[in-house]
Amino acid sequence: MFLSILVFSPLVLALIVGLVPKSWIRPTALILSILHFGFSLLLFQHFDPATANLQLVEQSPWIPTLGIQYFLGVDGISFWLVILSTFLVPFTILASWTSITERIRFFHINLFFLSTAMLGTFLAMDAILFYVFFEASLIPMYFMIGIWGGARKLYATLKFFIYTMFGSLLMLLAIIGLIFMAQEQLGNLSASVLDFYKLSVPFVAGQFLSTQTLMFFAFCLAFAIKVPMFPVHTWLPDAHVEAPTPGSVILAAVMLKMGTYGFLRFVLPIFPEAAQYYAWLFLLLAVVGIVYGALVAMVQTDVKKLVAYSSVSHMGYVMLGLFAFNIYGTTGGLYQMLNHGISTGALFILVGMIYERTHSREIKSYGGLAKVAPWYTIAFLIVTFSSIAVPLTNGFIGEFLILLGGFQAHKILGGVAVLGVVLGAAYMLWMVKRVFFGTEGALVAKYKDQGLDINFREVVILVPFILLIFWMGLFPNHFLSYSKASLDHFVNNMSNYELKVGP
Amino acid sequence: MQISFGWVDLLVASPAIALFVGSLVPVLIKALSGNKEPNAFVPYGIAMVSCFSALALLFGNWGIQGEFFSKAIVFDSLSMIVSMLILLATLVGLTLLKENPSTQKLQFSEIVFLTLNAAIGMMVFAWSNDLIVTFIGIELMSLCLYVLIALSEEERLSKESAFKYFVLGSFASAVLLYGISFIFGAGGTTSLPELKQMAVNLASTNRLFLIGVILFMSGLLFKFSIFPFHSWTPDVYQGSPTPVTAFMASGVKVATVFFVLRWMSLDIFTAPRSFPFVDVLQWLAVITILVGNVGALRQKSIKRMLAYSGVGHSGYVLIGLIAAGIGGQNLVGATGVVYYLFAYTIMTLASFGVLSLLERNANQEIVLEDLKGLARSRPVLAASLSVVLLSLAGIPPTVGFFGKFLVLAAAIKQDLNWLALWGVLGSVISVYYYLRPIVAMYMEESVLEERTWIPKPVSQFAVTLLALMVVGFGISSESFFNQFFKSVLEIFS
Repeated sequence: MFLSILVFSPLVLALIVGLVPKSWIRPTALILSILHFGFSLLLFQHFDPATANLQLVEQSPWIPTLGIQYFLGVDGISFWLVILSTFLVPFTILASWTSITERIRFFHINLFFLSTAMLGTFLAMDAILFYVFFEASLIPMYFMIGIWGGARKLYATLKFFIYTMFGSLLMLLAIIGLIFMAQEQLGNLSASVLDFYKLSVPFVAGQFLSTQTLMFFAFCLAFAIKVPMFPVHTWLPDAHVEAPTPGSVILAAVMLKMGTYGFLRFVLPIFPEAAQYYAWLFLLLAVVGIVYGALVAMVQTDVKKLVAYSSVSHMGYVMLGLFAFNIYGTTGGLYQMLNHGISTGALFILVGMIYERTHSREIKSYGGLAKVAPWYTIAFLIVTFSSIAVPLTNGFIGEFLILLGGFQAHKILGGVAVLGVVLGAAYMLWMVKRVFFGTEGALVAKYKDQGLDINFREVVILVPFILLIFWMGLFPNHFLSYSKASLDHFVNNMSNYELKVGP
Repeated sequence: MQISFGWVDLLVASPAIALFVGSLVPVLIKALSGNKEPNAFVPYGIAMVSCFSALALLFGNWGIQGEFFSKAIVFDSLSMIVSMLILLATLVGLTLLKENPSTQKLQFSEIVFLTLNAAIGMMVFAWSNDLIVTFIGIELMSLCLYVLIALSEEERLSKESAFKYFVLGSFASAVLLYGISFIFGAGGTTSLPELKQMAVNLASTNRLFLIGVILFMSGLLFKFSIFPFHSWTPDVYQGSPTPVTAFMASGVKVATVFFVLRWMSLDIFTAPRSFPFVDVLQWLAVITILVGNVGALRQKSIKRMLAYSGVGHSGYVLIGLIAAGIGGQNLVGATGVVYYLFAYTIMTLASFGVLSLLERNANQEIVLEDLKGLARSRPVLAASLSVVLLSLAGIPPTVGFFGKFLVLAAAIKQDLNWLALWGVLGSVISVYYYLRPIVAMYMEESVLEERTWIPKPVSQFAVTLLALMVVGFGISSESFFNQFFKSVLEIFS
C-alpha cells in the first residue's frame, strides 16, 4: 500500500487545497507538500539497498483482458528519482510564493496532479500504466506553461505537448507489439515490464525494418524527445523560457529525467541487441548535444535561455553515460540525473528570483550585481560550480564517472565530451562575469535601492540545495549505495536483463 | 407470404413499442387540445418515461438471444449494447433539446415524436437481420432526422442543411437499395443468415453480387461519413440544432457501425478472387483520418471542428472494422469497434452538450472566441469540456484512449502496422485542434462583456455526468471489455 499512498496522496492534497479559503492556499499547500516529502522519506526505512530486486511491489489486475496490471515497484534505479520528485515540490511552492499571483488555487492543484503523474511514471512497472502516467504528466505542465507563462506561452506549451505526444504515441504502438509478443512467447498477454524483459525480440543486424530495430527506435524517439536529445530538443528552449519559474524547475529537474529513466528502464534492457548495435549513433548524438548545447548557450543573451541550453548539454552527458554500457557510465548517468535536477533546478530558481525584482533576463542589462547582492552572488556561484562540475560539488562526481565510462566506450567521442566540459565552464563563467562583475549595468543601477539581495524566504529555499550540492559532492556513497546493487545487476546482465520481485 | 409472430417477438420489440407509444402521446395531446402546444414539461416528461421504460424492458430482455419476426430481426447482446447506446443518446438528446433556445418553444411535441421515432429507426437498423428491414430502419431514422433538423428556429443554416442532408441522404439510400437489388438478384435472398452461407462463394464467382456489395457498402459508408462520402458531415452537423447534432452524430454512427459489424461477419472481404475490399477500405480509412483531422485544423466554429473530428473518428472505427473483417481467431478488432463507439457516444454527447449549454439564442453559433475565459465564468463546464476534448484526443486514462488503444492493437495484431502508424499520425494532428478550445478557456481572457447565462440545470447535470463517465469508465474499462468481447464472440464464432 505504501507506494500507492505515495503516488495518489497528492490527489487528496489537491482536493484539500481546492477547498481551503483563499488566503490559506499557499501555507496549506506548503505544509502538505512537506508532509508528503516526509512521508516519501519513509522509503529509506522500507527500502533494502542490498538487493537489486524490485521492492515494495503492488500488483493487481487492472485490465486482464489485455494483460494490463496495476503494478508499482521501486528499485535502485527509481529510488532517488522518487525522492527527488517529492523533494522539489515544497521548494517550487516556496519559489512561486510571490511570483505566481493569479489563480493560485488552480496552480497548486496542478502542482499536486503533476506530483502524482511524476511519481507514477517512476514507480509504474506496467508499460501501459507507465504510459498513462507519462502522458498524464503533460496536462498539468501544459496548463502551467500556458496559464502562468511568458509572452509566447501558447506557442511554447502547444509545441511542448505535440512534440511529446508524437513520440509517445509511436511508443504506444511498440508497447502494443510487445504485449502481443508476450502472448506468443510467454503464453499470455502481458504489459508488465518484467515480462517484457523476458522476451527475445527478433533482431536482424543492419536491417532497419526488423522488429526489434523498429520498436527500439519507437521507444527511443519518445524518450529522446523527452530528454531532450539533439536534434529533437527544439521544444525545450521555448518551453523553458516561457514557463514560470516553478514550471521550469519541475520541467528541468524531474520531467527531463522521465526520458533518461525510460532509456534505463525500457530501451536498454528490452532491446539489448539493437541498443548495442546502434550505440554509436546515440553516443554520437549525445556528444553532439553536449557540444552543440554548450556552443548555443554561449551566444545567448537571455539568462534563462542559457540555462535551458545548458540542460541540453548536461542531458547529453547523461545519455553518453547510459550508452557507454559500463558501470562507470551507468552510475555516472544516474548520478548526473540527480545532479542536474539539483543544480539546474536551483539555477532556474535563482534566475526567477532576480527576474521577479527587475523583470529582465537580459545579460547585457546586468553587471556589477555582486556588490549590490552579495548573498545572491554567493549562492549563484556555488550552483554554477556544481553545474560546471568543479571538484567537491556533486557535478564533478557525475561528469567524472560519465567521462570515465565514455572513454572506455569510445576514445574519440569521450575526448570530445571532455571538450564539452571546458565549453560548459566557459559559457557559465562568462555569463557570471557579465552579470555579477564588471561595471554596474543599467538595471542594477535602477533597482539597487530597492534591495536586490535575497530575503529570508529565498535563503530557506536555497540552503537545502547548496547543502545537497556539497553533500552529494563529498559523500557520493551516501547516495549511490542505494542504487549500487541495481546498477551492478543492470550492467552485469545487460544482454539478458531480468528483474525479480522480492524484498 | 404469411406473416405471423408470437409473444416472444413482441417482447423483444417491446422497447421500440414503448418508444413508439410514448412518441404518439404528446402529439395526440396537442391535437386534442386544439393544436395548442402544451407546456414543454409534458412532452418531455412523457418522452423520459417512455425512454426509461424502454430501457427497463430492454434489461428485462437480458439473455434473450435469437432471430425474431420470421428472422427479420436478430436480438443478442450486441443488439442490447447498441440499443442502450441509442437510448442514452436519445435521453441526452431530448434533455438538450428541451433546454436549447433553438428547439424548445413552439413544436416540442413534434420534436419529441420525431426524436423517438428516429431512435426506433436506429434500433431497427442495428437489429436488422434482413436487408429489407435494414433499409426500412435507415429510412425511418433518416426521414425523422431530416425533419428534425429543419424544425430548428435557427434561420439561416438549418433549412439549408436539412435539404442538403435530405438530397444526399436520399441518394445514398437509393444507391444502397440498388445494391440490395443486385444482392437479391445474385443470391436470391435478402436474409443475412442465408447470405452468410453463400456469401464467400458468391463473392468469388459472381460479379453482379460484388457490384451489389460495393453499392450497398457505399450507402453504409455514407451514413458514417467515410471518405469520399463524408462531405455532408460538416455542413449538416453545423446547420442542425446542436442537440440534434449530438443525437444524430452518436446515434446514426452507432447504429450504422453495429450493422456493418454484423455485415463484416459474413466474411465477404476475405473471399478469394473477389474485389480487393480490404485494400480499398484501408486506403479509405487512412484518407478519412487525414481528411477529418486536417479539415478540423482550420475550423473556427467548434461545431464544424467537432464534425470534422467525427469524420476522423470514423476512420479509426473503420480500422477496427477492417481488423474485424479480415477474420481469424482474434476478436480484438470487433471488441475495439464496440468499445470505440461506446466511447464515442459518450464523448460526442458531452461535447455537443457543452455547446448546447452555451448557446443563448437560436442563431448563435459557438466559435473559439466564445470559449475565452470560460474557466473563470463556468469552471465546471470548462473542466467537463476539457476532459472530453482530452479524451477525444486520446489522452489516458479516458475512454477515448482505451478506444484508440484497442483499435490500434487490433491493427497491429492483424499485421496492419502501417495503418496503425497513420492512425497515430492523425492522432498527433488532432491534438492541435483539440487543445485550442482548452487554450481559449484556460489561458485567454474573455474579450466580450459580462454575459448572462441561461440556466439549463438538467443539461448541465447530464453533461457533467457524461464527463465523469469519460474518466470513470476509462479507468474501469475492464468490465466493458469483457462484456463487449463476449458479445462479439456471439456473432463472430
